[in-house]
Amino acid sequence: MEKKAAALPSKFVDQLVVPGDVVLDLTTLANSTIKLGGGLRQECDTITAMKAGVLRFAKPNKYWVESSQKRYVPCAEDHVLGIVVDTKADNFLVDIKGPAIAFLPVLAFEGGTRRNIPKFEVGTLLYVRVVKANTGMNPELSCMDANGKASGFGILKDGYMFESSTGLSRMLLSSPTCPVLEILGKKLSFEIAVGLNGRVWVNGASPSSVILVANAIMNSETLSGAQQRIMVEKLLQRVQ
Amino acid sequence: MEQRLANTWRMSVNDKKFIESSLLSDLRVDGRRPFDYRKLSIKFGREDGSSEVQLGETHVMGFVTGQLVPPYRDRPNEGSLAIYTEFSPMADPSFEAGRPGENAVELGRIIDRGLRESRAIDTESLCILSGKLVWSIRVDLHILDNGGNLVDAANIAALAALLTFRRPECTLSGDDGQEVIVHSAEEREPLPLIVHHLPVAVTFAFFSNDNVVVIDPTHKEEAVMKGRLTATLNTNGDVCAIQKGGGIGVLQSVVLQCLRIASVKAADMTSKIKDAVESYNTVRAFRKVKRHSAPIAVSVDGSVAIKKQSQDGAQKIEL
Repeated sequence: MEKKAAALPSKFVDQLVVPGDVVLDLTTLANSTIKLGGGLRQECDTITAMKAGVLRFAKPNKYWVESSQKRYVPCAEDHVLGIVVDTKADNFLVDIKGPAIAFLPVLAFEGGTRRNIPKFEVGTLLYVRVVKANTGMNPELSCMDANGKASGFGILKDGYMFESSTGLSRMLLSSPTCPVLEILGKKLSFEIAVGLNGRVWVNGASPSSVILVANAIMNSETLSGAQQRIMVEKLLQRVQ
Repeated sequence: MEQRLANTWRMSVNDKKFIESSLLSDLRVDGRRPFDYRKLSIKFGREDGSSEVQLGETHVMGFVTGQLVPPYRDRPNEGSLAIYTEFSPMADPSFEAGRPGENAVELGRIIDRGLRESRAIDTESLCILSGKLVWSIRVDLHILDNGGNLVDAANIAALAALLTFRRPECTLSGDDGQEVIVHSAEEREPLPLIVHHLPVAVTFAFFSNDNVVVIDPTHKEEAVMKGRLTATLNTNGDVCAIQKGGGIGVLQSVVLQCLRIASVKAADMTSKIKDAVESYNTVRAFRKVKRHSAPIAVSVDGSVAIKKQSQDGAQKIEL
């Protein structure tokens, strides 16, 4: 009986929850550990939602609330796009659209030593990973993956960066590839970097293709898969 | 925690370079051509004298109110018109709550100049008792979302709100004709303001490369531009006000070209504002009809209504 209860996920999974909804009752799942992500909070024997969004569940025991917003709340292991604001002796100060400025240690680069500290001017665009995101502390970033390799992190040159909601950037990163990127990828060649903080960077051969890709992505937020296809095809026709 | 640093909006060097280089080939980042205006939508609130204007991502709300006050000493038989701006931090994190910033003051001044110095609103008709009592019209402009080109959006919001504003009718009575009666809306139909013409603001942005001019700059283009020019014109082609900001020098020929383009755009926008106001007025008139018919239906209770109907029915049969 107990085992069954523990295996049974909350009935709210993949449903819309609003702040205050009791998502899980802990008394029914004794002897099992669950992991909570963003938007959930434990109150005595219950888990309640703290923000409006869709409750997600990942096997075996992870719960979190997904929502779309303009504001980004930093979370460890998120890949984000940041803008360098200032350089200090030990850290670069990077704006990642969060409530506080994030720190990027000058040594957090592949093969980084005191001797080869990179030089970034103010306004440089970086693709970085959030390492620490504790409350009451500035988030810490890194330009390496967990194995100490650069693996794509670092400075982004040229191209165009635009801001979107966090929901749109999550849609762009989802697999299978979302329809907009799929159709655009068939017709045009471009580079794209999506940050979970709602920043998207696009680079392509000509400015016109970059603008087309950027606008197609921005328009696609509220459209369904079929609508996205039609919209992209219309845009492509207009340009050609 | 460095909170303050996180509260400002920043632009990357990539964007700056991209916007400037693509403008050289007449491309703008939102897919417009240099002299295309963004999509304009005008909505009205339920009350008279409130408007909501959306210009692309920019969102401005206008609200007009009137008050009876003693006039200024030097103009005893003229009412007054004042513009107040409210930049909420919700629209842009760089706006501070409370104290109006440089932008807020400039925006208010441009709109004020366009409306007042061109005498677009007839202030003499706002006088009730010479030297004693006049209407003071106050226009509140709330910036709800900053997507660039606040001046034009706020100006349209002010015009739309002024066009739909209605003040209560006042009459004089008493032995010496010095007693003022303010009639309620039910008693006498409130009067609209007398608006002679519509001064529409059109903003241009100039970039560091020569001869690159765009109309209606977005938030990002405003961060890159080196100078801007706001021309306020009406449909007759009269230039009511010009405001030039930023350090860059602009050739006389470019200014004249801007004015020509602006007069076309101003005519275009005037017709949009007038259409919106007209449709609001028809909706308002329909609402009036319903309101007058409503009390009869409500005041009569069910049984009486049935009786009446049956009587009517009987009469019809007799006839």
